[in-house]
Amino acid sequence: MVWGPLAITFAPQLKAVAPGLFESLRPLANMLVKASGYRAMGLKYDDLLMEEREDVQKAIGRLTPEQAYDRSFRLRTAIQQSILHKPLPKDQWVKPEEDVRYMTPIVREVEAENAERAFYDTVQVERK
Amino acid sequence: MFSRQLATRTARAAAARSYATVSEASGVKVAGIDNGQPTTTISVVVKAGSRYETRPGVAHALKNFAFKTTKNGSGLKTVRETELYGGVLSSALTREHLFLNAEFLRGDEDYFLSLLSSVLSSTKFTAHEFAELVAPTIEGDSLAALSSPTTLAFDIAHNLAFRRGLGNSLFASPHVALTAEQVKEYGAQAYAKSNVAVVGTGISTEALEKAVAKAFGGASASSAGSSASGPATKYYGGEQRLPLDVHADGKPTMLIAFGSTDASATPALAVLKNILGGESDLKWVPGTSPLSLAAEKVPGGSAKAFVLPYSDASLFGVVVSAPTSEGVKALAQDVAAAIKGLGQVGEEAVKKAVAKAKFEVASAVENKQGLIALAGPQVLSGSVKSLEEAFGAIEKTSAESVSKAAEALFKAKPTVVAVGDLAVLPYADELGF
Repeated sequence: MVWGPLAITFAPQLKAVAPGLFESLRPLANMLVKASGYRAMGLKYDDLLMEEREDVQKAIGRLTPEQAYDRSFRLRTAIQQSILHKPLPKDQWVKPEEDVRYMTPIVREVEAENAERAFYDTVQVERK
Repeated sequence: MFSRQLATRTARAAAARSYATVSEASGVKVAGIDNGQPTTTISVVVKAGSRYETRPGVAHALKNFAFKTTKNGSGLKTVRETELYGGVLSSALTREHLFLNAEFLRGDEDYFLSLLSSVLSSTKFTAHEFAELVAPTIEGDSLAALSSPTTLAFDIAHNLAFRRGLGNSLFASPHVALTAEQVKEYGAQAYAKSNVAVVGTGISTEALEKAVAKAFGGASASSAGSSASGPATKYYGGEQRLPLDVHADGKPTMLIAFGSTDASATPALAVLKNILGGESDLKWVPGTSPLSLAAEKVPGGSAKAFVLPYSDASLFGVVVSAPTSEGVKALAQDVAAAIKGLGQVGEEAVKKAVAKAKFEVASAVENKQGLIALAGPQVLSGSVKSLEEAFGAIEKTSAESVSKAAEALFKAKPTVVAVGDLAVLPYADELGF
């Protein structure tokens, strides 16, 4: 699925084919994350998933109440910082270890459900 | 001449009546009843009705959680594959049992039994399925029950009569929050092997046994567990009055009931029910039973006697409804008089009622729903009663035993539920109870 809800990534393939190269690229990837600056605005990567899609909306609906609360708190913080035109004080930045993919597994689950529905809608039955 | 015909008829019926024997396959009680039907129905009978629920409404939620995602595939897969086989899946809840039914063409039992087994052993009870698929159906069921005066009256009557246990509502309450986790816990308890029986129609016991051993053996994670049990039922009785929404389509309804916790009185109660009657045997005429004669006087009115037998108690009574509350009031007064008249009934009326009660039992067994509803709980308890035994118990009732049963019933406080215009509908004491 190229135009899925998640960004295109070759990381899993690279990790499988050339784990050494994958590891050597890690510092570069971390630099890129830092340069994009979302952690400085108090966001996690999964807060940036494109929301205007039915599958992501469904995934947001499946977050636990705590996850949903934390998510909207982070979004509000980021909007506030955006209004102020400055990042959060450095001690309030999201730490790399806190930046977990809390929603990606749920999005994948929804994607799989949609794929299954499409499969059964177009299934060809062979009777033996 | 007539009596001879009757005698040959009973003899032939007895010869043709092959009934189920209960056997066991990998720890599950199994019984098949094959009368040569073209379709097979397999029902998993679970002792997990609202009586045994750990939290109000959790049995209802478990019923609606049937056939959702299991380890073997999603709910969508289950439904689509069942459609390809031309089968029908359903679940039903009574106060004592939960039924998971699969109806299909003969020969597909392996697929459907493995499906039922995976529902029992590996339903995932995910939180999102509960929120997205199960909770809306629970809400729908509860709303439909609330807007039907008769269903509501029966539910409240059980609550008044038995309070807890059998008195638990069949429907989840909007006032009690439920989570998928609680349903999962109840499911793990309920789906234990000792708490489950498999009943099939259109399949022989041997074939069913083999299929069950294949589907339920090994892979089935549900451990032995213990059979569900609750405290013995006690009858209380009481009165409750509820206003009926003027915009609801339901008719004003009154329910007058008496409870018995004596299981041996059930045949006498079945006869009592048929003495009161209420349902005509012919089209367009009211019949001769006291209730249908009373209902005839109120246009659009109906008064029907009922008896609801449970494992250790039964509820006997009359449900009255009419298009207006005034009509219900007039009818309820006649019904109360008819109920009080049960103390002294003639031998002839009892004989007529005995024949009617026997017919009722026999015709209930004729269709598969009735057969499974009757045989399922019996299989679970280990032995299926033959029709002859049921007939024998009913035949033993005489005018004395009926009036004795009626006397015992009327000693306790009655259960009276009124749904309608409360300014008009009479109170229990105004009806003379």
